[in-house]
Amino acid sequence: MFGQLIVSGLAVGACYALLALAMVIIYKTSEVLNFAQGEMAMISTFIAFTLLDTYHVPFPYAFAITFLFAILLAVFFEMVFLRQAKDPTVLGLIIITLGFEMMLMGFVGWKWGPDQRSLPFPVSNIETYNFSGMIISKINFWTIIVSLILMFILFLFFRYTKMGIAMRATQQNQLAARVMGIRTKRIFSFTWALSSMVGTVAGMLIAALGVLDPPMMMDPLLKGFASGVLGGMTSLPGAALGGALLGIIENLFGGYVSLSFKSVVAFAIIVLMLCIKPSGLLAKHYVKKV
Amino acid sequence: MVKKNLFGVGLLAFIFFISAPASAAVRGVTDTEILIGQWGPQTGPAAPWGAVARGTDLLVKMINDEGGIHGRKIKYYLRDDSYMPAKTKAIAKEFVEQIGVFAVVGGVGVATGMTARDYLMENKVPWCGPVTGVYEWITPIQKYLFAIYPLYDDEAFNLTGYLYEKLGYKKIAMFYQNDDYGKQGVMGVERYLLKHKIKLVEKVSAEVTDRDLSTHALKLKNSGAEAVIMWTMPTHAALILAETAKIGFKPQWATSNTLSDSALMMGITKGLWAGMINSFFGELPDSNHPLMVKYREAHKKYAPQERWGVFYYAGIIFAEPFFEGLRRAGRNLTPETWISAMETLKNWQGIGPPITYGPPKTPMDRQGGKHVFYGKVRPDGTIERLTDWIQITK
Amino acid sequence: MLKVKNIETLYGLIMAIRGVSLEVQEKQIVSILGANGAGKTTILKTIMGLLEDQPDKGTIEFMEKRIDGKDAEEIVHLGISYVPEGREVFPELSVDENLKMGAYTRRDKRGVKEDYERVITHFPILLQRKDQWAGTLSGGEQQMLAIGRALMARPKLLMLDEPSLGLSPLLVKEIFGIIKTINQEGTTILLVEQNAKMALKISDYAFVLESGRIVSANVPSILLQDEDVKEFYLGIRSEESAKGYQRWKRKKRWR
Repeated sequence: MFGQLIVSGLAVGACYALLALAMVIIYKTSEVLNFAQGEMAMISTFIAFTLLDTYHVPFPYAFAITFLFAILLAVFFEMVFLRQAKDPTVLGLIIITLGFEMMLMGFVGWKWGPDQRSLPFPVSNIETYNFSGMIISKINFWTIIVSLILMFILFLFFRYTKMGIAMRATQQNQLAARVMGIRTKRIFSFTWALSSMVGTVAGMLIAALGVLDPPMMMDPLLKGFASGVLGGMTSLPGAALGGALLGIIENLFGGYVSLSFKSVVAFAIIVLMLCIKPSGLLAKHYVKKV
Repeated sequence: MVKKNLFGVGLLAFIFFISAPASAAVRGVTDTEILIGQWGPQTGPAAPWGAVARGTDLLVKMINDEGGIHGRKIKYYLRDDSYMPAKTKAIAKEFVEQIGVFAVVGGVGVATGMTARDYLMENKVPWCGPVTGVYEWITPIQKYLFAIYPLYDDEAFNLTGYLYEKLGYKKIAMFYQNDDYGKQGVMGVERYLLKHKIKLVEKVSAEVTDRDLSTHALKLKNSGAEAVIMWTMPTHAALILAETAKIGFKPQWATSNTLSDSALMMGITKGLWAGMINSFFGELPDSNHPLMVKYREAHKKYAPQERWGVFYYAGIIFAEPFFEGLRRAGRNLTPETWISAMETLKNWQGIGPPITYGPPKTPMDRQGGKHVFYGKVRPDGTIERLTDWIQITK
Repeated sequence: MLKVKNIETLYGLIMAIRGVSLEVQEKQIVSILGANGAGKTTILKTIMGLLEDQPDKGTIEFMEKRIDGKDAEEIVHLGISYVPEGREVFPELSVDENLKMGAYTRRDKRGVKEDYERVITHFPILLQRKDQWAGTLSGGEQQMLAIGRALMARPKLLMLDEPSLGLSPLLVKEIFGIIKTINQEGTTILLVEQNAKMALKISDYAFVLESGRIVSANVPSILLQDEDVKEFYLGIRSEESAKGYQRWKRKKRWR
């Protein structure tokens, strides 16, 4: 029981972690909490569904097209909505993302209808692997693996590539970044695109784990946000750790304490963290000069 | 001064009282039309149930094409409440105060309907067939409210009996949604088991927003249950089947008629739905019942874009008795004549359960549907009918 | 090399620069002196293209090319680097990454490597600190990093904004020594300073700015004789005048 709870906690935690990463990427650059994150991932997953289910596109191609769509959607949103905001405050921008969330929700409801569907996925969601007695379902296993790989790629990207360093530089000091000749506007668009891609992977995994329908991202996004708060909204490793921790804590709480209050754990963690360590577990606090 | 005012008010009241019968207008009824309304979630998380309200529209179109009822066409107003009670209340007010409907038909949801119930009753608006099987529609008993949906409590009670006595499952667990709907299911299951002095081996609930049910599945598995009754939404049903399959737990599943759309369920569970024991409140989608044949043809003609699913034609099931009442009430239509007509329905049947009403003495006189039947889902998604209509409510 | 003609810069509705013209010759060190709020930084930011839609009027030419209205990226590419006031290093990037960002617009890997070596010879301390977060460096080290970072773009013109700000006199001396060396290696320098004494010591030419206008311009040796410059920038007071009102008038002119 304990082992199973940990394993499935890790799998769902991996999805939370990806969503938390997606949110943190944007939050770090612009201090905007993107409430449309879940719906952006959801609509991309619906695109994948249409390609796979209606047009029978092979999975790798469908995946690539979906990624492209996710990028275009994010860049479109950043350029058409956020950038046009006159004298934006952070709160104003957050509200714009909320509005976009509603638009996407409405659009998906109109285009695909409200019925639940199942996303054709190369990994079965009921078959299992048996690692010398330790049983883990294929989808859980691959969710964890894919998330780890993606996190590792993100780590390498931010650590070693010029673009990645430039993104961090822009986050830390926009004026200096412009002085270096970094096109900060382009960096913002790119930030959104990257975040949307990460979110889309999470969306597809979540749909593959369960069912695909318009409200599918509501709960995971909340948990992703809680993971971000837990690990630190400004720290990528923090978000990853927060997701894994939240998944496991939730499952252990559900397994040994109370199932009916399992979904409250995330809220409790948000409140607790904001009281004890608002910056999160891993965020190194650099105090901004005024 | 005070006296004068009182006199004025008295005069106004007097004029009002004598003029009311003189105009003789019945709200929502004209020489040529009868206005009716229904709310249903067309957007939001409960949107799959919104098909009910669109199914009613199909029946309305059929009736109007046949010339209406006693020379009057039906005018049908469908409003989206997104499953939000506050919106439902506003829609009820719109129906009564702005549109002026004769009656409300159907309406998905307990919490949503409850915000509108008292308002509709105070305004003497007939309401036929709320699309949920809870006690709230018949207790306290309402003159203007006619329930159709078989009661969840009795349905769960009877389904448990079917599993326990007919199929011989002694270790039964329950998986339910933590709200009114799920709780009334639990109530029925526990009521039955209490009678036989046994307990549920496990009782697991999920919140409406939950998306991760792995722990729930583990708990069910560890209970060692032979059969699990589920009282949830489609999403949770699919999630729990996948999670239990992952950990190799394969009990006999059984569920309420709210999950009887097997085409949908087979799709989202990737075939895991096969073997499910299901109760039904209406004819099966491919039934040869003459009315079903007629409705399927109308569906092809008027609304080919809709999927012929259980939720969709449930919109017909919950409206049929209402229109039968209109037919029996005759040309002189008022809420009172309609009610008297409804009370003459005795074992009247369309494609739903047999309907019986009576003058309101006990709550059961306003509970029209008292029957369900059982079926088992075949691997291809069609239903093997196991029983005939069974009376679940005495 | 750099020709600024009659530029006017607006901050919202406030005109911060009111018709400034100045010229920087190749290989020179040119200083802009002036009190706090005179508009020195604004001039540099205008040249750098950091202020959107500015200058409002006037032209800026660099190497015979109009650069007013271009954005910072192009201007960096053309060969101007800017060390902003207050250093503005990237606090949570390592020293090495900060330097790497300095060469952001460059594609020639070998050249970048050469320049890295050059920066390290100017500021050996940066090599010791190369994996440390820039935010953890001392003020002097941060200033060195900021200058080094600007040099990584291999600029033809290096613009420095208050490099002495908040540094000890000893460090100021060191920094200015290095600025002089950089200039001798062939980089033209435009320097904005409040520490006029230090600035004039290394400059070939200097402008005095007051309320967004150039009020005086000359070679240091002549400016050093100017009564006002002496009094308000070098802290050399002429004797207490009996005519107090005259002092007041002068003060007004400079404030």
